[in-house]
Amino acid sequence: MIVSAGAVVGLLLMATLTVAVGAYARRYARTTSDFLVAARAVPPRLNAAAISGEYLSAASFLGVAGLVMQFGYDVLWYPVGYAAGYLVLLVFIAGPLRRFGAYTIPDFAEGRFGSPRFRRLAVGLVILIGLFYTLPQMKAAGITVSTAAGMPYAAGVAIVTVVVVSIVVAGGMRGITLVQAMQFAVKLFAISVPVFALLIHYGSPARLVGAAGAEPVPRLSAATSFRVGAGDLWSLSRPLTLSVEGHATATLLPPGERGGTARTTYVGVPLSTASQPVEPPRPVVLAGRSTVPAGRVRWEQDARVTLAAGAPVPFGSDTPPSSGSAWLHPFGPLAGGSGHPLLFTYSLIVGIVFGTMGLPHILVRFYTNPDARAARRTAWYVLVLVSLFYLWPPLYGVIGRLHAAQLYTTNLTDAVVLILPRQLGPPWLGEALAAVVAAGAFAAFSSTLSGLLVSLAGALGHDIYGRWLRPGASARARSRAFQLCALAAGTVAALLGLSVEHFDISILVGWAFAIAASSFFPLLALGIWWRRLTLLGAATGATVGGLAATAGIVTTMLAFASAPLARLLDAHSALAVVLAQPAILTIPLAFAVMVGLSLLDGRVPPEVGATMLQLHAPDRLGLRRDYVPD
Amino acid sequence: MAPHRRDPERAGRRLRDLLEQTQVGAVFLGALMRRQLRLSLAITIAFLVGLGIQPVLPVIWPGYGDASVLGLPLPWVVLGALTYPLLVVLGLLYVRRAEGIDDDFTDLLQ
Repeated sequence: MIVSAGAVVGLLLMATLTVAVGAYARRYARTTSDFLVAARAVPPRLNAAAISGEYLSAASFLGVAGLVMQFGYDVLWYPVGYAAGYLVLLVFIAGPLRRFGAYTIPDFAEGRFGSPRFRRLAVGLVILIGLFYTLPQMKAAGITVSTAAGMPYAAGVAIVTVVVVSIVVAGGMRGITLVQAMQFAVKLFAISVPVFALLIHYGSPARLVGAAGAEPVPRLSAATSFRVGAGDLWSLSRPLTLSVEGHATATLLPPGERGGTARTTYVGVPLSTASQPVEPPRPVVLAGRSTVPAGRVRWEQDARVTLAAGAPVPFGSDTPPSSGSAWLHPFGPLAGGSGHPLLFTYSLIVGIVFGTMGLPHILVRFYTNPDARAARRTAWYVLVLVSLFYLWPPLYGVIGRLHAAQLYTTNLTDAVVLILPRQLGPPWLGEALAAVVAAGAFAAFSSTLSGLLVSLAGALGHDIYGRWLRPGASARARSRAFQLCALAAGTVAALLGLSVEHFDISILVGWAFAIAASSFFPLLALGIWWRRLTLLGAATGATVGGLAATAGIVTTMLAFASAPLARLLDAHSALAVVLAQPAILTIPLAFAVMVGLSLLDGRVPPEVGATMLQLHAPDRLGLRRDYVPD
Repeated sequence: MAPHRRDPERAGRRLRDLLEQTQVGAVFLGALMRRQLRLSLAITIAFLVGLGIQPVLPVIWPGYGDASVLGLPLPWVVLGALTYPLLVVLGLLYVRRAEGIDDDFTDLLQ
């Protein structure tokens, strides 16, 4: 990857700006309440910008475009689902939860049912989900810095950790509110402005989509050299002529045999791999100009390979390139490849919409509103802001299919947002735009990371230290505990982030979504709206939902390692779809267990009348009581 | 409920009922929750219909995948652009109506 001076400048500028705004906001952070909930005084519009800033993670800024480039239409469900999660949050949860005055999901679990043990269960889940969700942010940081700026992966993880931990430790929620609001503005600017430059250069969206859809396979727009390593796999849907520097041994594999690495999407949907009867692999020596047949090539030694402009692009994965028509139409390679496109699409929608909503760092932000009215308005502004953002990333995917097709071979479609603007001439323009998108990417992973760190530090410092270990601790001690926990959580996340450079982590993200959707969402929805929910019903339902979702994901993971299990799932592809994206079954299961057991149990919490009053009585009646004292 | 709106004495009694969680108070709160929940469900269902119909469109209308508007493929426009305004409008509708329900309830008690 060529080092881009613009990208380096963009990353450094953004890191500096983040620290500067954090330092400015820090002057206002003094009390525990400042750290945890920004003293509940953030006006709706600022809060909405901060929430949107936190919400639009690396998956939104980089991942959506990369997936559209790879899979086309079917991927549009992801951004729509991310945004729709906010509507569900708005209509069922935002207002009542704010009135309840609890600060975290564990606060709600304890406050609603009067059970400290339930709180601990919820704290455990928050920490698990939070840590899983920090991994893709760390990985995105490492990859952005290494692909865009040419620095090592570890440097990216280190920079983002130092920046984020320092602003969280220094200013807590109060500090990051302003930082995240600024980061939203940067992201919206960085995703939209370069698109216009790209469209002026490459033509209108209608022309681009038409051209991408008309091509039987994606083709290289210019002659490109690739450095291949031993073990790399290329999939070809048609014969390819290439020239090898010196010579290289390779193995020709017939289409269909399982080999190479399994790939999963951002929320952990495994991509199906066909398995057909196997012909024997055929070793060949390629030297100079050679032609390889359609199928798959496994490189057995390092080599430098050049492809001419217009050559059909080999995919650096197990799946051969899909045709432009399949890519353009509904039920393309992503949904269609599963064998059950409708089931696949619906379980994807359910998993994303309800999973996003149960992520711990999303809910925490609502307590920073002054009251329920502000919480609802904030949620609506967020809908507007994230909708504005999500119009743009798919366009990068479309343009990338035509003009950055080399990324298919190197498996770097996730970098399409970073790469495309740099290709624009004149060089000063390309470098300037590269700086803009690099700054946007930095804003994306660092804002989500800081939100996660606040909720992890909140869970550790507020829930475990402040409520369990030392309930009588002074406000000063609790602020100190929050800061220490932020430092500890940041360090653990960075160490985990360093170790996943070559590990497919999206399955962990899928896991986090599935647990959030199948345990936290039913807990909140029934806890807020159904007075007869009992502790036994709620705790059992959340546990059963979480475990069932875990079972589905773990089975999917095991299938990557176990051939018999993989064959079983291939034979029952509907089962495979549901196991990989289990929320469509586990959410109803959790609801059924909660309702059924609560009705059988009948031990409704004695305080339920007061709780319901607090959740639902309009603000102006003045019945509110907050958990975290101001 | 409307005729009693400007009667401070009755309003005060209702507020006491609510705070002391008498049976009358529970009935009032239950009515408020039902109205709010009905609104939330209606909005959610409206959205789920708008979104959930899209995957079956290519099944019930085979030409859906090939239709286009302004040169852009119709499915891309519907899902990638028009679904967002639907979300925003439904959200706005919800915020207005939910605040209205809260205000009605507050007026009844004050």
